[in-house]
Amino acid sequence: MTPIPAIETRGLTRTFESRKGFLFREVTRTEALRGVDLAVAPESIFGLLGPNGAGKTTFVKILSTLLLPTGGKASVLGHDVVDDSAWLRPRIGLVLGGERGLYNRINARDNLRYFADLYGIPTREREARIESVLERVGLTWAADRRVEEYSRGMKQKLHIARGILHRPQVLFLDEPTIGLDPKSARETRKLVRSLVSDGVTIFLTTHYMFEAEELCPEIAVMSKGRIVARDTVAGLRHLVGGDRTLEAEAYGFEDREVATLRALPGVSKIVSEEYGPKTRLTLRLRSLETTPDDVQAALPGHTELSVRERRTSLEDVYLDLVEEEAR
Amino acid sequence: MATADVPAISRSRATRASLRLAVLMFMADPQWLIPSMIAPVIFGVVAFELFRGAGPYFLTYAILGAGMMSMWGQTLYGSGWAIGQDREFGTLEPTVQSPTPYVYVVLGRVLWNVVSGLMGGGIVYLVVLASAGSPPAVPDPVGFVILFLFVMLTLASVGILFSAAWVYTRYSGFIQNVGEFAFYVGTGCMFPIVLLPFWTNPIGLFFPPTWALDALRYLSIPGYVGFSWGFWPDILGAVVTTLVYVAIAGTIFKRVELHVLAKGNLSDY
Repeated sequence: MTPIPAIETRGLTRTFESRKGFLFREVTRTEALRGVDLAVAPESIFGLLGPNGAGKTTFVKILSTLLLPTGGKASVLGHDVVDDSAWLRPRIGLVLGGERGLYNRINARDNLRYFADLYGIPTREREARIESVLERVGLTWAADRRVEEYSRGMKQKLHIARGILHRPQVLFLDEPTIGLDPKSARETRKLVRSLVSDGVTIFLTTHYMFEAEELCPEIAVMSKGRIVARDTVAGLRHLVGGDRTLEAEAYGFEDREVATLRALPGVSKIVSEEYGPKTRLTLRLRSLETTPDDVQAALPGHTELSVRERRTSLEDVYLDLVEEEAR
Repeated sequence: MATADVPAISRSRATRASLRLAVLMFMADPQWLIPSMIAPVIFGVVAFELFRGAGPYFLTYAILGAGMMSMWGQTLYGSGWAIGQDREFGTLEPTVQSPTPYVYVVLGRVLWNVVSGLMGGGIVYLVVLASAGSPPAVPDPVGFVILFLFVMLTLASVGILFSAAWVYTRYSGFIQNVGEFAFYVGTGCMFPIVLLPFWTNPIGLFFPPTWALDALRYLSIPGYVGFSWGFWPDILGAVVTTLVYVAIAGTIFKRVELHVLAKGNLSDY
């Protein structure tokens, strides 16, 4: 029997309206989500990648019952996010992160006590639960300090502590490491991984490629309110033309040279971009047949030619997909 | 770690948590000293000078006028502002996203504002007492205290509605700033509304504190002629309007929540 998806959306749309002017009101409509279909398996980490303004936060807010969709359906744990929001709220956690969202003038422990009460965590368990999450995010030492004295990374940890305090079955993390220093970001990623082993389904949005690659077995790429691709990292590499990438740099290439490269075995795609005074050709390769030497040989007469091989990164995949969508 | 079963939500516990948070935020922020401690002193001195020589019960007038002025701001304005602060801090989203219906969180904030309003009223009493050198003559002190608390309750009912407006839109502060003193005068806080132009009286009757205050004056000032037919009609008017306000607040909060979820403006400030 196929398990019920932890998260499922069908044709989800959301349009925002903004008004300006007093006597002559001007209404601007922005389609933040344009028919999103997605299903996420339980007890996994699912990554949603996308540039700023792609609709990631809107999507997360709808799934976490903070925003009503304009159209379509969304369910979490098999329950509709609009009709069953009261059932869902104690079972889901949301970490929006950033500098806001905490009571800065009081300490971390009192912040957590407040939310523990709002989530109905049994009084006899409350203090132990708070200690446990503080320890888990590494904030025990600063628990009695005012939040306004916290660094950005500490605030982010406190956001996560609040998000997991009531032991949700699904946790939404919106850009959890944005603005963090490398050490804090690494600790946060480690924490996220440990949550999955506890049986939590994690839905993570990010625009850090390496983070998605490191944490998420499955990734969807969102652009302009649509899911433009959804697969494993390897699957996405294949989707944009291959696992291998060759880059050739020189002071300009002629069209016939590009055509020669395109004819090499296994070359699925060539992207040309200006790079200072130089031009860079990026070749996606589906097979092992073409080597850097073959590319060198296909481009005679360039004194400053450099060719290098690397693995197609998730960033390549992401940029290809997002740029394709933009076109 | 994830739990399939979830604990039951206690609304009274959520309200207590919200009240406790309001106290902690108050203690942590020295700016609150101005409205809660310094302003009542100024109101008390001004009211004493304003009513001095206005008959044998001028002290009661002064205490009620300045006390209400202080409590008005604390209870009503403070309730709306507490929600505005949640918007500013970005804590409105996680609070609304919690399983507790938001109206119970608001209730906790309003309760704290009632307590802090009472403190303001107490300060006014002490200031007027110190200025006069003797306590005012109140025919029924026990009734006065009970009715005083009742006035606070009627103020709190208006405060809850103001809070709903703050949840609804970040622009509520504008409406509140414009309306604060108009409402204050219109409900007869400083002067009985019979002293105001007649056309303003029906407006004042829409507000529960107008009735409750008139009843308080009937009780504490012998020979007082208010706007209604006497003490008990005032009490009835106050109870009915308060219940209407509470009923509207109960209904409106659900609608306001749906509206803000549709608009998506919970994080705006």
